[in-house]
This record gives sequence, structure tokens and C-alpha cells, in this order.
Amino acid sequence: MKQALVDDTEDVSLDFGNEEELAFRKARLGYGASGFFPRHPLATFFHLFFRVSAIVTYVCCDWFSRSFVGCFVTVLLLLSFDFWSVKNVTGRLLVGLRWWNHIDEDGKGRWIFEARKASPQRSVATEAEARIFWLGLVICPLIWTVFFFSTLFSLKLEWLALVIAGISLQAANLYGYILCKMGGERDIGKITASFLSQMVFQTASPRDFQKPGLKGLEIHKH
Amino acid sequence: FAGLSDISISQDIPVEGEITIPMTSHIREFDSSTLNESVQNTIMRDLKAVGKKFMHVLYPRKSNTLLRDWDLWGPLILCVTLALMLQRSSVDSEKDGGPQFAEVFVIVWFGAVTITLNSKLLGGNISFFQSLCVLGYCILPLTVAMLVCRLVLLAEQGPINFMVRLFVVIVMFTWSIVASTAFLADSQPPNRKALAIYPVFLFYFVISWMILTFTPQ
Repeated sequence: MKQALVDDTEDVSLDFGNEEELAFRKARLGYGASGFFPRHPLATFFHLFFRVSAIVTYVCCDWFSRSFVGCFVTVLLLLSFDFWSVKNVTGRLLVGLRWWNHIDEDGKGRWIFEARKASPQRSVATEAEARIFWLGLVICPLIWTVFFFSTLFSLKLEWLALVIAGISLQAANLYGYILCKMGGERDIGKITASFLSQMVFQTASPRDFQKPGLKGLEIHKH
Repeated sequence: FAGLSDISISQDIPVEGEITIPMTSHIREFDSSTLNESVQNTIMRDLKAVGKKFMHVLYPRKSNTLLRDWDLWGPLILCVTLALMLQRSSVDSEKDGGPQFAEVFVIVWFGAVTITLNSKLLGGNISFFQSLCVLGYCILPLTVAMLVCRLVLLAEQGPINFMVRLFVVIVMFTWSIVASTAFLADSQPPNRKALAIYPVFLFYFVISWMILTFTPQ
């Protein structure tokens, strides 16, 4: 009887004196099936929606309509919406970073970078969101750079203006957020190296980041 | 030290220098109001800023507060509108105004960047994006002129038609010049004002020329 009672509650007999680890584990288990559901689904969707639809429209414009102007204006509008939403909304909501330009009284412009204080408990959902954010931020300018070269070499020069606009808008956001993330560290090489190594480690062995010692003690599996 | 008593510093040696505090962009880790405001607030704030700038262009007066809060949405909207209106309807629908559309775009943005670089090289005290912002917003009168010209062109063509359009374009061209100099002139050193304003004049002249010589077919 007593044994059954103990089995019903998972944390009664887990007594390692490690309260923080316990709370962390409880929080992760508490997400249950919704552990991977992002906290800001709308922001995540729109972060990727405008970028990807700009690229898709640019590539497939010949199929939709034969009008150069319609395609140009549509892609430009999508790129502008994407720039605005990534700069003002999704960066804030998904990773807690923001950057803007401030003009002093004497007319000098100054760039300001803001970062939310990192909370000690980073849930699976927040990390997934951050990963989506950075992947979307990095991959799309690369695609537009590929478009730049393909437009240049195929001599469709009237599209060049659009591709250059796309590259500059997306690269501006990328650069701004990288500077936010860097946190005053000015050596880009060091930051890139540490970022890449962290990504490699996390992809290779995600479990190693948890503290060891609780394996084999899962009383409840959700 | 006997000779030192004869030394006197004349009054008119200028002693000047510069004290600058290096403002490195640093990270501020706190939950400021802008980090946590709702999306609707952000949208409304930006829209109101754009609208306020349009009003400032329509009634130009010296105002420093306008320059402080630059944005490039107005210039983008105006450029796209102008380029759309400057399209010719050609017989061949394959290339429907393709080159002209991108041409307008390139002229406007490349021209604005060139003027900005010019004013910075002349020692102007204005930042790159502020100057782009002012030049872009001051295209508003010329966009209005384009609209009026297109409406006038719906009527019968002839010399009177042309005179009306010429008059409208000249008035709007002057308005653009006045509006942009109201904002840009202060940032230049006094003996260089003409050198800085002359490219602006050229820029709006080219756009006015494109508007005036536009015919639908």
C-alpha cells in the first residue's frame, strides 16, 4: 500500500538535495506534449512567412503573371514588411533583442542595441524559437546573394535593383542582430567561432548539456 | 627666470579643442518599455511618425524635431507611387514599362545617396539616413504634381494642356526645394550652403523633367 502511494507522486523519493535541478526537471516534464510548441506561434510564423514568400514570389513570378511591375512591387512590399516585422516585432518576442538609431541633440547618429536579460530557465520552446529565428535570419540573405549573382550573369539587369534592395534590407537586420548578440565584443572572428562551436556541440549531443545523475530514475513517463 | 616676466599672452589667440566622450554602442540589459510594448503600439507609433513627417513637408518650417526621428517608409511609398504613375502603357504587354519603372527607382535612390555623400563630404553635420529621409519625403509635392498631370492628360492634349502642366510642375518643384532646404540648410557650414543645395536642385529638376515629359503613349 505504502509502495503504491510512493509510486504515484514522482518527487517524493527523489531526494538529492539538488533543488535547482529538480525544479528544472519538473519544468521540462511539466510541458509534456506541449514542450516543443513555441510561445509565440504567430511571431514565429510571420518571421518566416514574409521572407520565404518574398523569395518564392521572386522565383515564381513568371508563372503568376507576366507583369514585371506587379512582381517587383509585390516582392518589394514583402521585403519591407519582413524588414519591419523582424526589426520591431519578432526580434523582441523571439529572442529579446532590439536595435535602433538614435539622434543626439547635436545631430550625431548613434546605434543602440538592447537585450533582455537572459533568464536562468531556458525552456525547450524558447530555444526552438531562437533557433528558428537565427536560421531564418542567416539563410535568406545568402539566398538573395545567390540571386544577385544569377541575375548578374544572366544579364536580367532590371531585376538587379530588386535583388540589391533585398540583400541590403535583410543584411541590415542580420548585422543589427549580430551586434546585439555580440554584447560589446568587437572581435567578429571570436564570436563566430564560439557560436559555431556551440551549435556543433548542441546538435551533436544535446543531452550532454543536462546535468548527469538523474538517468534511470524516471518514475513517470509522460 | 627674469625673462619670463616679459611674456604676455595676447588676447586673440584662440584656444579651442574638442572634448569627445567615446560613445560606444553598448548593450543595455533591462526590460525597457520598447522591448515589451504590444505590436499594435509599435505599428501605430510608426504610422503616426510617417504621417507627421508628411504634414511637415506640406507646411515646411524649420523644425529640428522632425530630423531627429528619421524613417525611410515615406520615401519608399512615394518612390513606388511615382514609379507606378510614370509607367507608359505600351502596346507590347511583355515589357510593360519594365525599364521605366526600375529607372525611376534607381534615379531616386541613387540620386538621394549621391546628394547625401556630397553634403557629407562638404562637411555637413547631418547623418546619412537623416538626409535620405528628408530628400525622400520632399518628393511628396512632385508626386502630387504627377497625379495632377495624369488627371490633366485625360483631357484633350494641346498647348493649353502643356501650359497647365508646366505651371503645376514648376509650383511643386519650388515647393520641394523650399521644403528640403528648410531642413537641410542648417546642417551646412555657411559658406558652403550653395554648394550643398545645388545637387538637390538638380535632383528635383530631373524628377520634374520626367514628370513633365510624360505622355501616356
